[in-house]
Amino acid sequence: MAINLSSKKILVVEDQSIMRETIKHILGSFGARHIIEAESGINAITAMRIDKFDIVLCDYNLLRGKNGQQVLEEAKYLKLLPVHAIFIMVTCEQSQDMVLTAIDNKPDDYLIKPFNRMQLLNRIERCYVRKNYMAGIEDEIESGNLYSAIHNCEKLLEQDDKKMRLQLLKTYAELSIKVGDFRKAEEVYQDILHERELPWARLGLGVVAFYLGYYDQAIKTFQDLIEQYPVMLEAYDWLVKAHELMGNDEHAVSSLNSAVTLSPMSILRQKKLALLADKTENFPVAKKAYTATIKLGKDSIHGSSADYSGLANLHLKNNAANEALKILYELNQQSHNDPEAKLRAALLENEIHRVKGNKALAQQAYDKALKLNEQFNKQIPKELRLEMAKTFYLNGNGEVCDEILGDLIKTNIDDKLFIKDVVAMCNNVISENHAEILIQRIKKELVDINNKGVSLFQEGNIKGALAVFEKAIEKMPDNHTIILNMIKIIIHDMKVSRPSLEKITRAQSFINKAVQLGIPHSQISGLQIELDALQQKINQ
Amino acid sequence: MSNTPMSSIGFSTILASSVHDIKNSLTALQALLSQLESVYQDPKPTEFKQLEFETNRMNNCLMQLLILYKIDLSQFNLSIDEYSVADMLEDVVAQQSTLLSLSHIELITECHDDLFCYCDNALITNSLCTLVNNAQRYCHSKVLLSAVQEDDYVVFCIEDDGNGYPESLTASDHKQLPQADLANGNTGLGLFFTETIAQLHIKGDKRGFITTDNNSQLGGARFRLYLP
Repeated sequence: MAINLSSKKILVVEDQSIMRETIKHILGSFGARHIIEAESGINAITAMRIDKFDIVLCDYNLLRGKNGQQVLEEAKYLKLLPVHAIFIMVTCEQSQDMVLTAIDNKPDDYLIKPFNRMQLLNRIERCYVRKNYMAGIEDEIESGNLYSAIHNCEKLLEQDDKKMRLQLLKTYAELSIKVGDFRKAEEVYQDILHERELPWARLGLGVVAFYLGYYDQAIKTFQDLIEQYPVMLEAYDWLVKAHELMGNDEHAVSSLNSAVTLSPMSILRQKKLALLADKTENFPVAKKAYTATIKLGKDSIHGSSADYSGLANLHLKNNAANEALKILYELNQQSHNDPEAKLRAALLENEIHRVKGNKALAQQAYDKALKLNEQFNKQIPKELRLEMAKTFYLNGNGEVCDEILGDLIKTNIDDKLFIKDVVAMCNNVISENHAEILIQRIKKELVDINNKGVSLFQEGNIKGALAVFEKAIEKMPDNHTIILNMIKIIIHDMKVSRPSLEKITRAQSFINKAVQLGIPHSQISGLQIELDALQQKINQ
Repeated sequence: MSNTPMSSIGFSTILASSVHDIKNSLTALQALLSQLESVYQDPKPTEFKQLEFETNRMNNCLMQLLILYKIDLSQFNLSIDEYSVADMLEDVVAQQSTLLSLSHIELITECHDDLFCYCDNALITNSLCTLVNNAQRYCHSKVLLSAVQEDDYVVFCIEDDGNGYPESLTASDHKQLPQADLANGNTGLGLFFTETIAQLHIKGDKRGFITTDNNSQLGGARFRLYLP
């Protein structure tokens, strides 16, 4: 099948020059012309910013800075890898897959050192065959059209290519879960397990149980898997989520702690452990995890000023204001061009001085925070805005606090975990019921808008109804009810007048958004079928 | 003090990082070898063949050492999935390709394209590589690598046209660590390793196993690996 490498852009990430030379030499002998080398993770990312590569060969153990997994994570996060690109991780050990892997950040394949030219070529060719085979599905996933991706999966499954069968079924089940068709996913996993006990299929069943709300069953599945495969990190990650939703934060911390021990280099797990342990007042674990997060964050896209303020606040809680000051100093060193970091630093400074009783310094920091808040307002992440609201309140500015809270509740009304945080903050700092009253008021506003739109629609004033929902969506882009009504109206509009490609694209983008927000399959699939029918009408 | 056990440092960590370092050295060694080799015209000095064989062997031994150690500590888990057997055999041939190109040995593979196997791909492929590497040493001119479905098992078979296994290797129970015949450079560790790995492959009440005899259709040794 000999692949032609002459047109491929290839990036070789390897810290040892002799290995780089060898790999280049091998690739050259197969006709490769465009080969770029990088001897560190940072240089690899820079190279990927400049060029779009077809193939990336990346060593896992890079001596300084980022390791291979971090390079992959960052490249995916920054969307530096084209959909069709192949990313091969070069490792020294076998069977590391499960330990190395973080969810969503799997390389296309692993290549174990030492390898010769035939082994390297074989690996690249196989990846290409698989990528090409799955391209019709991956492209749709990339554009957010999950229903089309599922459809393409079904078409390929009908061809019954035995070599690709399991890979397809796996993708098919994962997509079914993503659109909320849990029964379908369950069926696929059961069928596979009927043939053979495969850990990923067993994990899939646990995930289905999780989404169906059978948390006890899900937890049992994940625990059994971990007992059998003690290095299967995905099982830990899901176990943590299940414990969290059950309200068992202590269990979540202990499971997450085990996962972190297995993968101490994974910043996202360290970060989550820090937050969870902090919440459960397990300060020693939280401190260790925050410190690890800050250290890893220096080489990672996932490093954040929040890690610093988290640790500093932890010190404050433990009456170690001077330790907190040290962290603040470090944060200030890092925050030059980052408004979010500056704001966090100002809030932290205010808090530290308030605790230490330096009123003038606290006021100074507060003023700084005020200014930054005005400047950057809604670009700031929601949990930081919540912190802002708290600071405003504590400094006697209840009005601004309520304004922020109102806006936060409005935009995130369907995000149960965040609303829980808002309520907790209000209960602790302001008063019981404060959040509840705000939430009730906003829910009523929402119902009013919705009723107004629906009644306009029923009167036949579709334009008017669209205008109402459009305005609402601008204010509350993530609100489930409004998005669903918007889709219904656009579809109805096309049914009574005539379908247009523009309107179909618009409706599809809202459906994709609805899937992304986790609106249940039962509420979306009917709309998707109606939209597909309209699309067919146009095609005819 | 001198009797303090070194568990506090963590022998498995030391072993893992040593293996990692040696692997890097081996990779560099192989890389240097192939650069050096490209300087020579055919026919290349026979020393290259020997060097390639030895680096393969060091690498295989190292991998076996680490995995057997982990199994001993119950820290090892298979990672099972379904694989195309034709692809696995192709991987073995690829791994042996440098050595094959330097010797005059013919490695033939026979396998149906629609044959699939549930196994730990990396481990099984590596075990097969070790055994094929050895077969190349003991054969005259040919090695046959094949795989078929036999009832509930996928059977991998390595046959050669050499003088066959010595009696110590056909009669012995592979579950026992072999009596090392160090004088002849044959420790039987590869067979012991493969048997150990095979045993970890379980389906229902069936386990994997290996057999060795001298009934090769090519006249020499025959090795078979059964995976349920």
